[in-house]
Amino acid sequence: MSGRLITLILVSFLLVIGALMLAGVMPLDALSVLGETFRQKGAWTRTLRETTPLLIAGVAVFLGLRAGLFNIGVEGQFLLGALTAAFVGLLVSGPLGVILAVIAGSVAGALWAWPAGWIKAYRGGHEVITTIMLNNVAAFFTTWLVAGPLKAPNQESTTTAALPAMTRLPSLYSSPPFFLNVALLLAVLMVVALAIWLKRTVAGYELSATGANAIAAEVAGVNVKRMTVRAMAASGAIGGLAGACQVLAYEWRFYEGFSPGYGFDALGVALLAGATPWGLLPASVLFGLLTTSSTALAANGVPRGLNGVLLGLLIIGFAAYRYRRKRT
Amino acid sequence: MGHCCALRAAGRKGVRRLTPHVRLRGIDKRFGSVVALEAVSLEVEKGTIHAIVGENGAGKTTLMKVLYGSHPPDDGTIEVGGEAVAFRDSADAIRHRIGMVSQHYSIIPELTCLQNLILGAEPAAFLDEQAIEARAQMLAAKMGFSFAWSEPAANLSPAGAQKLEILKLLWREADVMILDEPTAMLSPADAEALFESLTALADQGRTILLVTHRLPEVLRFCKRADVLRGGKNVATTEVAETSAGQLAEWIVGHAMSEPVVGSFEPGEAVLETRGLTVRGDRGDEAVRGVDVLIRSGEVVGLAGVDGNGQRELYDALVGVGEVLAGDVFMEGADIGRLNPGERIARGLRLIPEDRHTQGVIEDWSLEANAALGLHRLGDLRRGQWVHAPARRRLAERIAERFRTKHGGLHQPMRSLSGGNQQRFVAARSLEFAPRLMLAFQPTRGLDIDGTQAVYEAIRNRCREGAAALVASFDLDELLEHCDRIVVIRGGRIYEPPAPQARDRNAIGRLMVGAEAGLSA
Amino acid sequence: MELIFILSTLTGPLLLAAMGGLTSERSGIMNIALEGFMLTSACVVAVVSVATGNPVVGVLAGLAAAIVMALLHALLTQAYRIDHIISGMAINLVALGGTNFLDKRFTDLSRQGEIPQIPMLVFDVLAFGLPVLLWLYLKRTRGGLRLLAVGNDPDKARQMGVDPIRVRYAALAATGLLCGLSGAMIVTNAGRFTDGMTAGRGFIALAALILGGWKPIPTAVACLGFGALYTLQLQLQGSQLFGANLPSQFWNALPYLVTVIAMAGFLGKSRAPAGLGKE
Repeated sequence: MSGRLITLILVSFLLVIGALMLAGVMPLDALSVLGETFRQKGAWTRTLRETTPLLIAGVAVFLGLRAGLFNIGVEGQFLLGALTAAFVGLLVSGPLGVILAVIAGSVAGALWAWPAGWIKAYRGGHEVITTIMLNNVAAFFTTWLVAGPLKAPNQESTTTAALPAMTRLPSLYSSPPFFLNVALLLAVLMVVALAIWLKRTVAGYELSATGANAIAAEVAGVNVKRMTVRAMAASGAIGGLAGACQVLAYEWRFYEGFSPGYGFDALGVALLAGATPWGLLPASVLFGLLTTSSTALAANGVPRGLNGVLLGLLIIGFAAYRYRRKRT
Repeated sequence: MGHCCALRAAGRKGVRRLTPHVRLRGIDKRFGSVVALEAVSLEVEKGTIHAIVGENGAGKTTLMKVLYGSHPPDDGTIEVGGEAVAFRDSADAIRHRIGMVSQHYSIIPELTCLQNLILGAEPAAFLDEQAIEARAQMLAAKMGFSFAWSEPAANLSPAGAQKLEILKLLWREADVMILDEPTAMLSPADAEALFESLTALADQGRTILLVTHRLPEVLRFCKRADVLRGGKNVATTEVAETSAGQLAEWIVGHAMSEPVVGSFEPGEAVLETRGLTVRGDRGDEAVRGVDVLIRSGEVVGLAGVDGNGQRELYDALVGVGEVLAGDVFMEGADIGRLNPGERIARGLRLIPEDRHTQGVIEDWSLEANAALGLHRLGDLRRGQWVHAPARRRLAERIAERFRTKHGGLHQPMRSLSGGNQQRFVAARSLEFAPRLMLAFQPTRGLDIDGTQAVYEAIRNRCREGAAALVASFDLDELLEHCDRIVVIRGGRIYEPPAPQARDRNAIGRLMVGAEAGLSA
Repeated sequence: MELIFILSTLTGPLLLAAMGGLTSERSGIMNIALEGFMLTSACVVAVVSVATGNPVVGVLAGLAAAIVMALLHALLTQAYRIDHIISGMAINLVALGGTNFLDKRFTDLSRQGEIPQIPMLVFDVLAFGLPVLLWLYLKRTRGGLRLLAVGNDPDKARQMGVDPIRVRYAALAATGLLCGLSGAMIVTNAGRFTDGMTAGRGFIALAALILGGWKPIPTAVACLGFGALYTLQLQLQGSQLFGANLPSQFWNALPYLVTVIAMAGFLGKSRAPAGLGKE
C-alpha cells in the first residue's frame, strides 16, 4: 500500500513539473518568481485575504465532515449568505447593520443547507447529490436577484450597490500596502471555538460520535437523525457566515460570479486539515498561498488552471494517505 | 468435461468398492492465532446426504468453506472423486463441480429469478432468454419447483429463495452440494419439502453435505454424520446407529464444572416484556410474542443457536429495533416508547454482540470511549460541558476493573486486542449503577480468568438489586454462571420445566428443537 | 425542423453523459466527475483537432483523454480506496484547471478559425440510439447482467464467480467513452473551446440519472425533458407567450430544483443501486 502511495505522489509531482516545463517555465525559475513575489507586502495581504473565506468555509465543511456529512453545498450557502448580507447591509447601516447582516447571512446559509440534512436523515437521499443540486439552484437564484430586483440602479454590471464605509468590517491593522481585516481574526476565533466545542461539550461529543460510528452513537443514546439535520444546518450557517464576511470585509457588494469557488476549495481545506480543527489554519493558508502564487505565475505565462490541478492532486494524495489505514 | 471423465475413470479403477466422493484429510485452518480447524478428516460417500453437526463456532462452516475453496486450508489434503485437488478460490471449486449454498443466501434481490440463476454461469455473451428459460424450466420441473422467472427475486419467500439456490447448483451441474443451515429460515412444511428434493437428488447420484444443528433432520434424512466440536472432529457415525441423545451429547460435550447455584431471593420485576414482536432484516417477525420476566437479583441466561432472534430481541430492548407489537416494562414503567438515551438514563446498559459496530469507536481514545453511552450521566457532564477530569477517572476505573491491557488512555481503541476491548466494554456497562444489564456474548475473546471476573461482577451487581440478561451460544458458560436459563428458538422463548431447569441435555434439546419432532 | 435541431443539440450531450453516469453508478461507483470527463474531452478534442487538422483524430484523442480520467477515478476509488466523492471532486478540479492550462497553452495563437468538425448528425444518432442499446445490453447480455449484479451486491457477485473489480474498470472505461462523446458533441457544436464550457451539464445528467431511477429509458426521458425545457426557454425569449416573463435563471435552475424535490420523496421513490459506494 505504501508503495502505491509513493507512486501516486511521484506521478503527481512529475505531472506538475512537466506542466510547468510545458508552459515554458523551468521549475527553478518558477521558484524564483515566487520568491520575488513574496518579498512584497502586497502578496501577503492578498494571501490573507484569500485565506479568510477559505478558513471560515473550511470550518463549515469540517463541522459537516465530523458529523459524517459531506457538505459540498458550502458554495451555494456561501453565495446565499453573501447576497443576504449585502441586502441587509444596504437596508440597515452602521455597526448594527453589520451585526444584522452577519446573522442574516448565517440564517440564509442554514436554511439553504437544511433540506439536504432533512433528506439525508429522513429520506435517505445522499447529501452530496442534494447539495450539488442546491449549489446550482443557488447560483442561478442569486444571479437572478442581482441581475434584477437587487441590482444597483445606476450600475452597468450586474452588482448590488456598495455598502457604505460604516457598514463594513474594519481593518484590524493597516500599514499600506499591508492590511489585516477583522474577518480573519473572526475566522481564527471560529477555529478555536470549534475545537473547544467539539472536544469539550456534550453536543460536540455526540456530533463526533454520529460521524465516527452512527450505529454506536445510536446505541449510546444519540438521536442520530436529529443530529444529522442540525449538523447540516449548522454547517450551512457557517458557510453563509463565510459569504457574509466576504461581503462585509472585502467585497462590500455582491455581484454576478461572486465566488471563484471558495466553497469547493474549502472542501480541500477541510480534508487537508486532518483530524483536528487546528489543521484548518495551515491548510487554509496553504490554499491562500497557492492562489497568490498562481496569480504571480500567471503573470509569467503559466496558465492559472495549474492551480486547480495542483489542488486536485493535493487532495488526492492526502486522501490516499489518510484513508490508507482503513480496511486492512 | 475433462474432470467428468477423470471422475468416471477413478470410479472404475477404485481400490475399494466405495471410494468416497469427497475426502478431507488432516485439515488445519487458523485465523491469526485462533485455531478454527485442527486435523479434521472427513469422508463422504457418493449419492448420500451427509450431515455435519455441531454448535456455533464448532468450525462447520469453516470446514465447508475449505472444501468450497473460499478458505484455503493451512494444512491437509482434499480429494474429490479420488483425485487430489487444491482450490485457490471458489471458481476453482465450481469447476470441480462443487457448489455451496451459504446460510445467508447469495441471491441478489434486485435481479430477476432467471438472472440470479445464471449469474456467473451464463451460457454465452448474448443471452438467449427463451433458451435459458426453457432449460431453467426443465431443471425446475425435474425438481418439482416452479418460478415466475422474470419476477424480481426480492419477491421470493424464504423457501422460494432456498429452492432457487439449489437450482443454481444444478444449473452449474454441481455433483457435490454443500448446504449450510438450509432450513434456518424455512417453515416445517417447507423444510419437509426441501428434504424430499434433496433425497431425490441424492438418489440421482449427487452428494449432499448438510450443515445443521437440527437433529431431527439428521436422524430422518441423513446417512452418515460427523460431529465437530471446538474445531475437531469428535465423532463419525452411521445415523442408523445413533440417537438424538447421543448426538446432542457429542455436540455439547461434557460440562466442565459443577453449576454454581447462588442462593438469593428474587425481588421485584426489573424487566418484563409482554407479547413482544420484533421485525427482522427481511421484514419477517424475528421475535414472536415474547414474554420475559426478570427479577431484581437474577442473572438470566438466554440460550439459543445463533440467528434465532437474540439480536432482534436485544435491539428492541435497547430501543433501536422495530417493535411490531407488545410492551416492554422496566421496573414497572412502560419504556416501549423511550429512545435509547432515555433508557440508559433509567439504568439500562448493553454489552453489545458486535463491539466494533455497536460498542466502541475505534478511532477514538480509550478515554473518549469510556463515556460512550454514559456521557450524559452523573458527573461526566457539567451542564452542556464535558467534565474531563471525571471522564479520565471513569476511564481509569474501567480499565482497572478487568485489567484491560493498554498503552495509555489516550491511545486509540483500535490499538487494543479484541479481548482487551471486550474487557473495556464489559467494565463500562457496570458503571453508574446499572439497573438492567443486557449482555450479548459478554466474554467473547476472553480467557477463563477474564470470563470468571466478568460474570462475577455482573452477578455481584445483580445481588445489589440489579438484573441481567445474558445471551450466549455457549450453553456451558450459561449453566455455570446464570441463576436461570431460558431458550430462544425461532423467535420464541422456551423455559425448561422445573425438574430439568439446569439439565444441559434437556436445554440442549430445546435449543435444537429435538424435544417434539421435526414439526415443532 | 429547426426546433428539432435545437432540441437534439441540447439533449444529445445530456443523453451521452447520463448514460455514462449510468454505467458507472450501476457498477457501484458514485460519480460526480461526469462534468470533469466531459470538459477534458471537449478541450482535448479542440486542441488536437486544431493541431492535426483532422477532426476524427481530434475526437479520438478526446475520447482517450476522458477514458483515462474515468479510469483514474476507478483506480483511486478501487485500488487506493479513496472516498468516491473526494475522488470525483478532485478529478473535477484537475479537469477544470487542466483544461484551462491546456487551452491557454496551446490555442492562444490559433484562436482564429473554428476547429475542424465531424457532422453533428453523427453525435445525434449516437446519443439517441444509445439509451436503447444500453437497455438491451443490460437486459440481454452477460456483461450487462454482471454489471447489474456487481452494482447491487459486490460480495454476492464475487461468491458467484464474478470479479467486481474487473467489471468496475470496464464500466468506468465506458463512462469515459460516453462522457467523452458528450464533451466532443458540446465542443463541436460550439466551434471552439472555452473555459468551463460544459457549464454544469454533467450535473444535469446526474440529476436525470437520479430522476430516471438509474434506468436507461426513464433516464433518457428525463434528459429529453430537460432538453425540451431549454428549447422552450430559447423559444420563449423575446416572445409574449406565457412564461416569457419568467427569468432565464428560473428555467436553468428548474432541473436541479425538480431533482431535489424528487429526492425529498415528493415525486415517488427512486431507488439507487443497492451497492452504490460499497467496496
